[in-house]
Amino acid sequence: MSKNMAPIFLLLAAVGLSTALLGLQAPKAGLPVLTTSAGQSADVTTLNIVLDEAGIGYDYCDVPTVEMAAAGVGLGGREPGPGFHVEVNSDLDRFPPGTPYKAVVFAIGASLKGMGASGLTLEAEEARLRKLIEFCKQNKIFVMAVHIGGESKRGPAGSDNERMIDAVAPFADLIVVTKDSNKDGRFTKIAQSKNIPLTEIDYALGLVDIAKQVLR
Amino acid sequence: MNLRRLITWSALLVLAVFMAGALTAGRSPGSEGSQDWPDRESCTSILVGKDASVDGSTMTTHTCDCGVCDWTWRHVPAADHKPGSTRKIYRISQYKTWPPSEGLKWDLVKKDFSGLEIPEVPHTYAYHHGMFGYMNDRQVAIGESTVGCQRRMINSTPAAKLDITTLTMLAMERAATAREAIQVMGSLAEKYGYGFHDDGEMLAVADPREVWLFEIMPVGPLWTPESGKPGAVWCAQRVPDDHVSVCPNESRIGEIDLENKDFFMASSNVISLAVDMGFYDPKSGKPFNWKRAYSPQEGSAASTEGRIQRMWRFFDLVAPSQKFKPELANMDFPFSVKPDKKLSVQDVMDMTRDRSYGTPFDPVKGIRGGPFKNPNYYRQTRVIDDGRAEYTTVTQSRAGLPDMIGGIVWISFGSQDTACYMPFYAGVTALPKSFSVGDHWIFTRDSARWAFDYTDFHVQVVYSEAIKDVQAALVKYEAGIVARIPEIDKRAVELYKKKPAEAARFLTGFCVNNADTVVDAWWKLGDDLLVKYNRLYLYNTEKRNYDRRNPAPPEWWRKAVRAFDILMEPDKK
Repeated sequence: MSKNMAPIFLLLAAVGLSTALLGLQAPKAGLPVLTTSAGQSADVTTLNIVLDEAGIGYDYCDVPTVEMAAAGVGLGGREPGPGFHVEVNSDLDRFPPGTPYKAVVFAIGASLKGMGASGLTLEAEEARLRKLIEFCKQNKIFVMAVHIGGESKRGPAGSDNERMIDAVAPFADLIVVTKDSNKDGRFTKIAQSKNIPLTEIDYALGLVDIAKQVLR
Repeated sequence: MNLRRLITWSALLVLAVFMAGALTAGRSPGSEGSQDWPDRESCTSILVGKDASVDGSTMTTHTCDCGVCDWTWRHVPAADHKPGSTRKIYRISQYKTWPPSEGLKWDLVKKDFSGLEIPEVPHTYAYHHGMFGYMNDRQVAIGESTVGCQRRMINSTPAAKLDITTLTMLAMERAATAREAIQVMGSLAEKYGYGFHDDGEMLAVADPREVWLFEIMPVGPLWTPESGKPGAVWCAQRVPDDHVSVCPNESRIGEIDLENKDFFMASSNVISLAVDMGFYDPKSGKPFNWKRAYSPQEGSAASTEGRIQRMWRFFDLVAPSQKFKPELANMDFPFSVKPDKKLSVQDVMDMTRDRSYGTPFDPVKGIRGGPFKNPNYYRQTRVIDDGRAEYTTVTQSRAGLPDMIGGIVWISFGSQDTACYMPFYAGVTALPKSFSVGDHWIFTRDSARWAFDYTDFHVQVVYSEAIKDVQAALVKYEAGIVARIPEIDKRAVELYKKKPAEAARFLTGFCVNNADTVVDAWWKLGDDLLVKYNRLYLYNTEKRNYDRRNPAPPEWWRKAVRAFDILMEPDKK
């Protein structure tokens, strides 16, 4: 490799081409997709920006219920309001309102501030997630769990962040995490025990290519 | 109109007020145009140029409005560092707290190492800090207000190593002037990435000669250090020496002139990032405008029914002759204004206590405050003193004095109206132990903050009466100390000329003793209020009797109660 190529290689390595699917092929989910938060941290904003960057239209709701998810694209026409966020960015020509979602992506990360703004307790958030994932499983909707908040968005067993991980990751069809989110190997253990494909990335930027592969 | 009809109409009016209250109470703060930025209803920061103050000091303030955050303070001594040493960068959330049994926040944050160590400088300055760094031994002073940013700019990923708390501490450690502080914070944020816990932030940055308004924002979650691009975008504008300014959780910098280096500084990407992210189109023919590009917020005091009235209120307070209108959109207010009269430090302290009384957004107008005019009952209007400050700071940086004597950070704990400002000179080498302990969830008489909350709590019951007792105490313990500052300065300068360390010892002793005295006085004040207004009677401790008729609810309150009864139970009229 020439000296001039070295920085380029390092850059590519850093932004995600070095990501390794641990033993399993990247699954395909398809569109339309709904993004949401598991724990109401700001990481869901990162997720949405990643999809913007990937050129993938998506619907977003911070606290979707089963009924809203079941309503498909457009989330049943729900309007945003105080403590409740909805965006409909799906390609409505391809996926008219009501088209069933093929994937739901959860950005995992607990924020008491975020949950407070949405009027949720930790227990209420867990219950909401449990119902939503159950609905996804029943309807064969692909569940993608993303943790991109790093070590700071983790915690000891039983802490808010770990409870959010427990609520989503073991039931996912694909787990994507930044390396520093998985320093203790917790996501690897979940993936191995549940036979779930897991991808590690260096930065959130690495999620752009994965989103393209999985969702398009 | 007969009496019955009058009462009916009055009752309907009462209902309307209650309904309006019920409706607005459900709204998220600042929901108009800013639903993603609840933090915008947090801190207020005031900036005063040296020629706008009575004594020639520059001033900054910070009402650390949170309600659940850490309130402890710490002094960090100056230090010399060997070549090759490094400074670890920790993740510091403004909101994260730990139970006192686990230790102090400023020790526990070290458990959250970001993985980044930056080259240390040969010498770091001493400073006092709470949630942020506030005053170092070179008189560099800081105040803070969250301003938010465009959603796509938020970078909560671990790639962003620096948050706003850490930046202020680095500025304290490394800067001898306000300009240096801005360059230190801006350049480190560009290199190592800014965000993670924080998004758009404003800092008032002052030294004895200048006061600057600095704003910094992340550049989105897709930034990586390997990209070679700045990991932050920032801009700073100097407040003219004879002007004052304010930041009430809204971006304040508009059009910029980077050729005018005495008044503007910015990162290299200040305009290009806005173009790249689609926030500014150079072909529009309009000049680049920082706040409109990166942190636009529509609305005015009037259009939001007072929810964003602090901007108007501040300008109206300092420059009433200019007749600023509450209908003026907040983004159209000037960056700064020359005050009608120069401000004293007491004026600035009083402004941090402002409740917008007598304005269209008066929180005790009508029946809003209840029979005893409590401004905390009806919180539709977001006033400067909204009662949930962890602490409030007023900094003074004063030329003509040695730095250790010229710099003062005045600290008050809790709601400003029931708290007392206590001075801490830049040369103070220790803070009271009671300033370093306590949290919101466990009451302890070891914590200074609880002394002020204890008094505050007892004021709430009969606010209009009990606040007079607090104000009497403030005359003694706050205004009295403000008046003594020239005498303390003089003594400290005399000692400084002999030996600076003696001056430091004197200042430390004075400030710590004063703070301990004030804290003790506020514990006693709380006790006294509990006794004096016990059971809503008036107890006279000297005469050992009590008056059951006082404090008496006013007649208008009795009428309001009757009107409400008629409204709610019309059949029983």
